[in-house]
Amino acid sequence: MTIEFTLTKRQEDTRAAIHNLAESIIRPQSLAWDRNHGIPHDFLQRIAALAGSLGSLSAAGDLVRQTDSPAEASGKEKKSLNVSTIVGAEELAWGDAGLLLCMPGPGLGGPPVRATGTPEQKERFFGIFKDLSQDIRWGAYALTEPGAGSDVAAIRTSCKKVGNDWVINGRKCYITNGARASWNVVFATIDPTLGRAGHRAFVVEKGTPGFSVGKIEDKMGLRASETAELVFEDCVVPAANLLGGEEAYHTKEGFMTAMKTFDNTRPIVAAMATGIGRAAYEYARDFVKAHYVMTRPIPRYAAIAERLARVGRQLDAARLMSFRAAWLADNGIPNAKEASMCKAMGGQAAIRACVEAIEICGAEGSIQADHQLLEKWFRDIKVYDIFEGTGQIQRIVISKRILTNLKSF
Amino acid sequence: MISFSPTEDQKMMQDSVAQFARATLRPRLREFEAARAIPEDVRKVAHEMGLGLVAVPEALGGAGLGLATAVLLEEELAWGDPAAAFGFGGPGALGFAAQELGTAAQCSQLLAPFAAADGYARFGAVAWGEPRALPERAGLLTVATERDGGWSLTGEKAYVTNADRADVFVVFAQVDPARGWGGLGAFLVKKDNPGLTLKPRATTLGLDVASFGAMTLSDVKVSREDRLQGPAASGSFDAALIRFFAKNALIMAARSVGLSRAAFEVTRDYCDTRVAFGKPIGHFQAVAFTLADRAMDVEAARALVWRAAWLWDSGAPDAEALRSTGYAVSFAHEAAMRCGDDGVQLHGGAGFMRDYPVEKLMRDAKQLQLCGMTAEQADQLAAAVELGRPLDPGAILPSAETQSAFV
Repeated sequence: MTIEFTLTKRQEDTRAAIHNLAESIIRPQSLAWDRNHGIPHDFLQRIAALAGSLGSLSAAGDLVRQTDSPAEASGKEKKSLNVSTIVGAEELAWGDAGLLLCMPGPGLGGPPVRATGTPEQKERFFGIFKDLSQDIRWGAYALTEPGAGSDVAAIRTSCKKVGNDWVINGRKCYITNGARASWNVVFATIDPTLGRAGHRAFVVEKGTPGFSVGKIEDKMGLRASETAELVFEDCVVPAANLLGGEEAYHTKEGFMTAMKTFDNTRPIVAAMATGIGRAAYEYARDFVKAHYVMTRPIPRYAAIAERLARVGRQLDAARLMSFRAAWLADNGIPNAKEASMCKAMGGQAAIRACVEAIEICGAEGSIQADHQLLEKWFRDIKVYDIFEGTGQIQRIVISKRILTNLKSF
Repeated sequence: MISFSPTEDQKMMQDSVAQFARATLRPRLREFEAARAIPEDVRKVAHEMGLGLVAVPEALGGAGLGLATAVLLEEELAWGDPAAAFGFGGPGALGFAAQELGTAAQCSQLLAPFAAADGYARFGAVAWGEPRALPERAGLLTVATERDGGWSLTGEKAYVTNADRADVFVVFAQVDPARGWGGLGAFLVKKDNPGLTLKPRATTLGLDVASFGAMTLSDVKVSREDRLQGPAASGSFDAALIRFFAKNALIMAARSVGLSRAAFEVTRDYCDTRVAFGKPIGHFQAVAFTLADRAMDVEAARALVWRAAWLWDSGAPDAEALRSTGYAVSFAHEAAMRCGDDGVQLHGGAGFMRDYPVEKLMRDAKQLQLCGMTAEQADQLAAAVELGRPLDPGAILPSAETQSAFV
């Protein structure tokens, strides 16, 4: 072991491939997708095929592989899978974060299935993503409710065993790809007074009676990504779809395992934020190069240089923190604190980057036009300090790990 | 491959330095502060550990362990007492100045005495700063004139670390006044040079264990051989000058990381035990979140410092290493200030009392920000690289024209 900051050749090649794709194909269409609230199906199909053929082309592609068949990855690759994933995630988000969220595959639904699913469930739910000649498909993760966001234990969606089935009632909101998903991992409770011990996770398949899609959200940013409300009205789910089977819930571990998946996904979200922030930073830097006569001793220029450096270093710090959290995961070292740290830093650093970039570019920075995506990045980035645990939730996670005997506030 | 684990050898050194910091530096930090110096017994131990010559290449008489090892050890030392390393014997900033600006022969000759058995009693210093800017031209007011086959230096120097302890100085002076910041030269001056007059040592806000001084040069005669021209192989004198400042500043940044960690830890421990309203104050979100933010500062600053050190060690292009160093230096110094400030704040009134170490850490943090290169200058350095601007010493390095720093 040593301290080292080079990417492997494979990581570097993947990064370069995604970068080229982002520059030549993704970014030119980015604004159209944003305006049209979605990405054409055939484009997603083509990019999914490309991701599949290149293995780790995209972060989403990597997520599929990670949740589906990690055994196929070679030893060395497996050893750096989390780092590889965040390298890909940053680069694809640099291209278009909306596209990254639209990438076919199990998405955030993958980690809980992998962590708690029975072998039969893994086969059944991951199986549908294997055949690349088939139409593209999505999985999704449905936890948040209108009355339960950060306070996950407060979910009210109910589940009740009736005969050999479970009956689910309630509503889920802000679910990425929830409407198009072939299945959603849905969290419900047998008794709200039990808190987390009462939680159960189900894989609810599209077309299940009693399951319907409510509102599709109209958002500030990430408008190419589908954000859905899910409605469960006496929705009958077979017992075989209870994630992990009944035994998994005899202890508290069942739920905790589902939560632990955040330790792997938070660095990815942080890396996506860094990718958007870097896009904004580079835009502002290049704008300054092109528009300002930096050789003149105008006081504002030194101030602008300082602002750029400040943004650059915050992003750099956030990136290194994501690398560290991912590297810990790759080495089997607990990383909950570090994962939360990079998520908290990544979101804020990237928001600062977008805010500062617009200020540096002045009026022009706020104008929406083709090849002028800064205002879009500004809209896209804000939610990165909110979803996958708000900045405040990350600080709760960190606090519990740096203070003694702090169970809750 | 990305990896955040020091080697086994590095870990062993880190452990022994951490032990030294825990057993000797931290318990005696107020004693050092009162003495305004590190006592001889402690300097001897530091010297036996080879702490002054870690990053100096073996060929030049050092340990050849690279900057990555140096920053690991500097963090541990500063965790014990951020001021201590300023008071240990050793070349200090002069080591990097000699490496970057001198020939191999000049450098090894200059650094050899520091490796000797009595090295704990020897200090080096760099006289860069000056007390005022010149209205009529850019550059240094200290001027070097060619005379009798050698050089004569006349002017004033300020903000010189260990000025009254040093046996030998690298003195910067204007060689070509017409060329402003592009017309500088560096010269070796021994402390017994008759033209050199030291001014009284300054008393400072923090890090007073370091002896910050100033001097007057009046026809200081230097032989032709004692001019440091910059190694012909690696570009211009100015590029070497900026490398020297960057590497020295990176060591200061590593000390800021150690300081930040120390401030965070003592404050965390205080918040774990101090009870108010029936529970430890750390169990209030306003307090816990502040601690969480400072914990992030420590981790992020360390990662930036490690990466910059690694870039220098692995022979990356100057631009990359300089940008990364700029980021590391500004982030680490600002983080240290936040850790010191919040540390005192969360201690409440107790934080203001000298019974606790945290008020010293806050003072030291501000002082460290003024050592080597300031956060503002580090930002200008990184931005100049990013914007593809020429690296102008006048815009990037500390000076009386912009913002002074102790070197």
